[in-house]
Amino acid sequence: MRKILLGTTAVVGAALLAPAVAEAQEAPTVRIGGFFRAYYGNTQQSGRNSTVPSGLANNTSPADGNLRQAIVAGTPTTETNVGTNPGHVGRLSKNDFSTDAEVHVFVNGKTANGLSYGAVIEIAFNQQEGRNIVQQRASTGKTTASIDEMYAFVASPMWGQIRFGDEDGPVGGLMNSGVITNFGTGGIYGDRESFVSRQANVRTTTSPGSLGDNTKIIYLSPQFFGFDFGASFAFNYNEGEDTGCPSNQSSGWCDSSYAFTGAASFGVAAAGPNMSVRRNEYQGALRWRGSLAGVGLSVTGGYVGSGAAKELSPLNVQRSVFQPLGVWQVGAQASAYGLTVGAQYEHGASNFFWGNLLKGDRPMDQFFAGASYTVGPFTIGGNYLIQTVEGASRTTFGYNAAGVLTATPNAGGAALMRRLGYGIGANYRLAPGLDIVAEYSSYTVAERGRDLDPSNPGVQDRNTAKVFILGTRLAF
Amino acid sequence: MKPALLAFVAALSLLAACGGDNQRLVGNDEYGDWRQGRARNRPQGASAGIVVFGVDKDREAREAAANGGGSGLSVNAYLWRATLDTLSFMPLASADPFGGTIITDWYSPPSANGERFRAQAYVLGRQLRSDGVRVQVFRQTLDHGQWVDSPVSASTNSDLEDKVLARARELRSQSASR
Repeated sequence: MRKILLGTTAVVGAALLAPAVAEAQEAPTVRIGGFFRAYYGNTQQSGRNSTVPSGLANNTSPADGNLRQAIVAGTPTTETNVGTNPGHVGRLSKNDFSTDAEVHVFVNGKTANGLSYGAVIEIAFNQQEGRNIVQQRASTGKTTASIDEMYAFVASPMWGQIRFGDEDGPVGGLMNSGVITNFGTGGIYGDRESFVSRQANVRTTTSPGSLGDNTKIIYLSPQFFGFDFGASFAFNYNEGEDTGCPSNQSSGWCDSSYAFTGAASFGVAAAGPNMSVRRNEYQGALRWRGSLAGVGLSVTGGYVGSGAAKELSPLNVQRSVFQPLGVWQVGAQASAYGLTVGAQYEHGASNFFWGNLLKGDRPMDQFFAGASYTVGPFTIGGNYLIQTVEGASRTTFGYNAAGVLTATPNAGGAALMRRLGYGIGANYRLAPGLDIVAEYSSYTVAERGRDLDPSNPGVQDRNTAKVFILGTRLAF
Repeated sequence: MKPALLAFVAALSLLAACGGDNQRLVGNDEYGDWRQGRARNRPQGASAGIVVFGVDKDREAREAAANGGGSGLSVNAYLWRATLDTLSFMPLASADPFGGTIITDWYSPPSANGERFRAQAYVLGRQLRSDGVRVQVFRQTLDHGQWVDSPVSASTNSDLEDKVLARARELRSQSASR
């Protein structure tokens, strides 16, 4: 009888004893959430030329790693345009559509003694940035499902929360203040990169989230007197289950290799496989939140540091060629009457994508500022960033014929790279979770004397990507 | 650098332990969800998404807020009416729809003059669920002109609860078909 009742009647109303029940055991719930978005994008980007298609891979040789145009006798070449007027290369179209979605699984429960626990698994469908044909009829689609973040947590009001898994760290997204991105698709840190190709690196920003969700253990404290803090540790840059070693050989592909041949070229993480020399990463952040005279305030200070894998020569000599990663971060934001303003400053040893600097290279400085205003269903906002960072590295590491590591000073001399951008955007809330978004952003990379776009004739020492986005986003 | 940071974290942990009333657990929705900057303004943490397994307490709370107030009942209406119906063969001593308690007076069944019964029923919440009602039956027998407490057979309480639940189900299906 009871089973029938349970099975045939709907559950209505709320628990009368809700406050008392709050401390009691709760059976775990499983929730599905996520988002879908579809955008139209108009992109104007320097050096957005068509290039020689990469050779297809077969069983014995991989696909050509780089889609950059070949240079023959100083002249950019394409299949149909070899050696003749180098300016006449086909450009990519300015117009494109882009869709993306994620499906999130949330598990939440509570034990009888008040311990909350659960897990979050986020399934993404943007695993492959570039189309990749491994073999005929043996390739992965561009919308192949993969995991964005996945972690488990236990939390207690007494001692705070521990998260364990593939997740952002306290400095890399969890506890930042002053990074105003709650308009459009996020302004300069938004979805613009869906439309920008890799020429001259005008796609990549040093946003908090791009610090990475490598597998880490994270402690997040309770809030006391407005303060809370977090700390995390990761052994390396990698996420997911296996070792990363593609063969029975210990190599740089292995997540936990601490010295490998060719390490010097992995200061910037390889796109896709999460391969970087970052090792023993630790983050710490302290945050204060409160309100003064009706103005909500949030201030965060944090630090991220790590070691680096060493270069391993064919003679089995290990050399340290990287500086430790070490970046300080302070940020603050204030909000009242729908207006939020914030700013963040970062300084320390890092390249333009949270990677370890080669020895001798200059530290990174970055300043970010943003503001947004929400009135009714409208939100408008803008943000701006400027970064100075080492350009072409001062030293090139390689091996001579005898297998000895050589350090060659950069002939062109070291120059400061400036990366600056801004974004303005708006969204209109049609229904809870459903937004129409519009956004314009521009991002420029400039380095005096360095040719950032070898595809085009002459020295292109400044490259810009401007993206206009109009679309819709549904969060559920 | 590292030792200083570790010491800093350790000191803060100790400080955190002194929080007392000023201490609270930081909700999962108070941390940046960086990648999901794209999915802003959706509920996060424990109230994110749509429940596919388990009881959606947020939805219950929302529905209670929507339904509550006007009805005058703070317990489940089907269970409340079903309990009243089921116990109506006994004289009612008190019924409190806010607390969800129904207490009957002593009642002697015509077939058994030497014993009398009294029942207390508790409707436990707003939800129509099988553990939402509890019935306690008391029995006394006449011994030398004195009523003395005597045990009730173990199944009596749960039998009555089952009757209440069956009646609640009837009421629910009647109202649903209307």
